[in-house]
Amino acid sequence: MKHHYWEPPIALYLFLGGLAGGIMFLSAIFDSFVIPGHTDIFALPVLIAFIAICIGLVFLLVDLGQPGVFWRVFRTAKSIIKWGAVFLVIDTIVSMLFIVAFLGDSLTFMAPLSNLIKPIASPMLLVGGFFGLCIMMYTGIMLSTLKAHVFWATPALPVLFTVSAISTGCAAIVLSIGGWPAVVSLESLEAAAEVNHILHTVDIVLVVAEIIILLTMVLSFLGAGNITAKKAAKRWVCGSYAPLFWGGMVFAGLLIPLALYVAGSGVASAVVAPVLVLCGGCLLRFLVVNTDDRAPLPGEERYMGRIATHKNAFVKRWNYDGENEF
Amino acid sequence: MTRYVMVIDQRRCIGCHSCTVACRTWNKLPLDIVYNPVLSEGAQGEWPNVHKYWTPMLCQHCANPECVPCCPTGASQQDADGTVWVDPKKCMSCKVCVNACPYGMRDASHIESRLHRFVRKCTFCRDAREMDPSAQPYCVKTCHQKARIFGDLDDPNSEVSKIIGSVRTERLFEELGTEPQIYYIPDLGGKA
Repeated sequence: MKHHYWEPPIALYLFLGGLAGGIMFLSAIFDSFVIPGHTDIFALPVLIAFIAICIGLVFLLVDLGQPGVFWRVFRTAKSIIKWGAVFLVIDTIVSMLFIVAFLGDSLTFMAPLSNLIKPIASPMLLVGGFFGLCIMMYTGIMLSTLKAHVFWATPALPVLFTVSAISTGCAAIVLSIGGWPAVVSLESLEAAAEVNHILHTVDIVLVVAEIIILLTMVLSFLGAGNITAKKAAKRWVCGSYAPLFWGGMVFAGLLIPLALYVAGSGVASAVVAPVLVLCGGCLLRFLVVNTDDRAPLPGEERYMGRIATHKNAFVKRWNYDGENEF
Repeated sequence: MTRYVMVIDQRRCIGCHSCTVACRTWNKLPLDIVYNPVLSEGAQGEWPNVHKYWTPMLCQHCANPECVPCCPTGASQQDADGTVWVDPKKCMSCKVCVNACPYGMRDASHIESRLHRFVRKCTFCRDAREMDPSAQPYCVKTCHQKARIFGDLDDPNSEVSKIIGSVRTERLFEELGTEPQIYYIPDLGGKA
């Protein structure tokens, strides 16, 4: 293996896409089924989802070699990435319209437009929630279909990514619910407090589920017969990723937030715990995307260790005129 | 129908890397891209009972490729004759096919201009065959040991179908179900 084919922008994009999907999914469920009638308190969470999708798409485009060809995704194939792109675009539009529907509450010049969209805001959020779920699942399924990489090609990965995405979405909603542009009223404050209260419990369940899935996945790889999978899992459990995995993800990203959610109060459970959950989710994507171990061909590692890579100075200096495109 | 395959006789390969050089030269590859590395694990065994063998690699032009259905833009495609290739004009270099290939035989160059990168891979010298249908890939033409043999598997009189029909051949990572179309005649050792 010469280098990681997918670099940090992709990991960040997977995190931000999952975060946005999680926010849309949970907001839709709470708005339609748990506490109906207070759609405005979800304006700021959805705004965060919108910003997350936009930044994520920028990272995605930055990673492309020929961004100008991106439009072909919507024309040609039936690959999983195509579906992901479609889901992302739908959720971008839905979240943008949803925000516009509530911007009029704070910005008077937007009021006519807002009043036009407001009646359909709640059903629109439900549609956004469905496609949010699709985004969360797609990020994991996309990796798990690449069976060349044993650490990705497991059904546990989409489950882990989806649970982590809902958990980060939960944390983002806890941090932002009821804020601008929604108009502050006693009723909306009460509703926001109630949602917050339920979300704390939900996040406790999600964090526990995430710990279980994560440990099941990593430890079952560690005990697996597959040499490549075992090598990758060893790197997580007792190798170079161990400080980030145990210290960063399991301890700081899952166990501390869990303890703060359960026992803490005030700032600790309202701000610190959700922020840690978000950092843990981001770290998870980085570690998983970097664990792209492929079963080596006989002699491949020896060969790749000897030839120059794009990082060598003389390769960098070499000027390619691009004469032949093949 | 035509089905292009390659037979690689590991008993004949002496590890001279001529095929790698020919490919790089004719296809004018960027410096960080190699289509056909010649791999070796080095000398095996303990002196005086040692042997060494080479595994010349290239894209396996799988009958059931992993890298084609995953492509979101339709750039990664397969011809009717089995050749898997990437259309540089359609490729946006999302690198999902690079990650999908179990053989690691695809990559985008990192030293080309930032906005003109696409995934490159062995094309069985498709461009040469477009000009002359009987053309052989450059790695085959240059192999003085005749360790690489290229031909049409569907033609019962071709050298490759005769070899594949009569000699035990092996394929790489057959268990993944990709049906690779590069057939190796393994070197069982025995020569120092």
